[in-house]
Amino acid sequence: MGGGSAGWLAAGVIAAEHRIDAGSEQTFELVLIESPDVPTIGVGEGTWPSMRSTLQRIGLSETDFLRECDASFKQGTWFRDWRTGNGDTYSHPFTVPIEFAETNLAPHWLALTDAPAYADAVTPQTALFADCLAPKQITTPEYAFVVNYGYHLDAGKFAELLRRHCTEKLGVKHVKANVAQVNAARNGDIHSVTTDSAGEIVGDLFIDCTGTKSLLLGEHFGVPFESQQAYLFNDTALAAQVPYTDEDQPIQSCTHSTAQTAGWIWDIGLPTRRGTGHVYSSAHISDDEATAQLLAYITEIAGDKAAADVEPRKIRFAPGHRREFWHRNCVALGMSSGFIEPLEASALVMIELAAGMIADQLPANREVMDIVARRYNRKFLRHWNQIIEFLKLHYVLSERDDSAYWVENRAARSIPDKLSEQLSLWRHRSPWHQDAEAVDDLFPTPSYQYILYGMGFRTAPRRTAGYRQDQRQRQASELFRKNAARAAQLQQAMPGNRELLSKVREFGLQAL
Amino acid sequence: MSKFETLNTEEHRQLRIKTGYSAALGDAVMFAMTFPVEFRDIQSCYPILFTKDPNTGGFFAAALLGFETEQNLFLKDDGWDAAYVPALIQRQPFLIATGGEGDDKPPMVSLDLDHPRVSHDEGEALFDSEGEPSEFLNQKIALLDKLHRGLQHGNGFIDTLLKHELLEQITLDIAFNDGSKQTLQGFYCIAEERLYQLKGDVLESLNQAGYLQPIFMAVASLSRTRDLIERRNRLRV
Repeated sequence: MGGGSAGWLAAGVIAAEHRIDAGSEQTFELVLIESPDVPTIGVGEGTWPSMRSTLQRIGLSETDFLRECDASFKQGTWFRDWRTGNGDTYSHPFTVPIEFAETNLAPHWLALTDAPAYADAVTPQTALFADCLAPKQITTPEYAFVVNYGYHLDAGKFAELLRRHCTEKLGVKHVKANVAQVNAARNGDIHSVTTDSAGEIVGDLFIDCTGTKSLLLGEHFGVPFESQQAYLFNDTALAAQVPYTDEDQPIQSCTHSTAQTAGWIWDIGLPTRRGTGHVYSSAHISDDEATAQLLAYITEIAGDKAAADVEPRKIRFAPGHRREFWHRNCVALGMSSGFIEPLEASALVMIELAAGMIADQLPANREVMDIVARRYNRKFLRHWNQIIEFLKLHYVLSERDDSAYWVENRAARSIPDKLSEQLSLWRHRSPWHQDAEAVDDLFPTPSYQYILYGMGFRTAPRRTAGYRQDQRQRQASELFRKNAARAAQLQQAMPGNRELLSKVREFGLQAL
Repeated sequence: MSKFETLNTEEHRQLRIKTGYSAALGDAVMFAMTFPVEFRDIQSCYPILFTKDPNTGGFFAAALLGFETEQNLFLKDDGWDAAYVPALIQRQPFLIATGGEGDDKPPMVSLDLDHPRVSHDEGEALFDSEGEPSEFLNQKIALLDKLHRGLQHGNGFIDTLLKHELLEQITLDIAFNDGSKQTLQGFYCIAEERLYQLKGDVLESLNQAGYLQPIFMAVASLSRTRDLIERRNRLRV
């Protein structure tokens, strides 16, 4: 129930996994009920690399996707002003540190004096950021890469492409109607929904993609919403589309995130425009002041005229999530299950994970559904908690004291216990494999390293030297050298994002 | 750099073309582009692989001549050591120029004035004293014509292979006798398993388009890889 990225991604992943199109032995029907009157909110113009496998799983060609969704390549996030507010920068690239499986380079990097930034020292990817270079070449097959990447995309166009693919290729039935009533079964499940124009629709499993309204999970079942604003203060976003200064202006390789006095501004490069927005805490800054900061940013990147022309769209949101996500025969995903803030673009990846788990674990009958639901709830509560902890990490490491917002972000009561514990440990030992809780952790250990050492966090040297310490330091130096050589090589070999995207438009990428 | 001009009697009357094959004449290339109607000749001497145009990402067929950039194992002191020289090599420094899409101008012979084969005092004359095309030039024009028709026929070949998923990536890990190793990447070959599963109607359509025989020629050509490795082994001994 509900279209948008959440509804159509879920429909696509489930339909592709189970094959329910006309030519198959249909065992169930997948119906997507979408209100013709409710505009989709279009959150999440940034994806993770996981989107490549999701699109592949759904059976979309990357060429079609890039062409039709006004999409570009995203290789990570570039942060500015988060640490001191005085023009400091660091990167969180999608590529894990070189030889990460065997070697933890962090302690070796910390031992260096005069080292390049952590991300620059351990991955060649960040070398592509300054000149807006692409993560692949025109000869690289669809979904393959030279360096890891996800996408920036136009969420409206994305939902539209998914809708066409789901209805035309995957056998998803699209019903455009408003749900007037939810009808309970005797056992407390949802038996059916009554629509205004398509009659009653009976279902075994109801997937709630109705956005913040959470019509089934929240409204019908009354599953409580748990605010996380005590940890993460942001509750308002001002979004504005900014034109390029000229049509050849380079397209950025990563999301730019620039901290402000009570939030931060995102800046995402699509082929035809830039998507910017200010996300902030309404308790710490007025909407007018927040707008002024956004306009100042737009003036800086695109000039006075662009700033005068924009009409920022305001979105209020409550940071938090439902207490559980799968209740009886109803599972919520997307904003109906929760939303924190766009930092680190976790919205779409959570939808992909949810859709993937529903598709993989699709209950064979009603009896096993409660087992699947319990497992699902455990897993996704862990994901939400990690999102909260990992996003908070960005704030607690800041040294900014130019506003109450930054100071309060470091107050002990605003820091989740687990994060406090992790930070205590990491002062003595840099995070590595043992810090991962599960193989499917949303944010893997390298991400923690990139944020910690990007923000200037120091891990003290270990007090025991260990055997072969000299040899290990030599091996690490060799890896740093190899990485620098690879970075220089990639800077020569990789095309600009805009150049590659126009080639994709003209020639397409090969499937192999 | 290349500087192409449409061939004409006035400007190019005095030009001569150096013949023979050598690195100095621009023949030190790792592969030469080829096309389906040439596959029969090519497979008698060279492995036929498919690779991508670095500019467009589009596939084309190529006769493999060496294992690394600028290595042509068929170049010897006394010329080209094989019974058949790929047409795309033979045609140097000429090129058939056609108009863009939708342009029905007849194909024109043009030549690359910056090509090392182009000379003023050495090689075969392009025109005789009366300004008529020389026998040498007429032969080249006939070759270009054949080449042009072959390339046109081959236009749909790659699309057909892709449509039936008949290409697959091939990575050649080769150990030479001198202990050195080379990994050849970025090449594709005919996906034999899928080829042998094709149904009658598909085989018939491939045959009618003139693509079936070249597909099998490309499959057979891979046996020439052994000869290429031998040539590479002899090089360093």
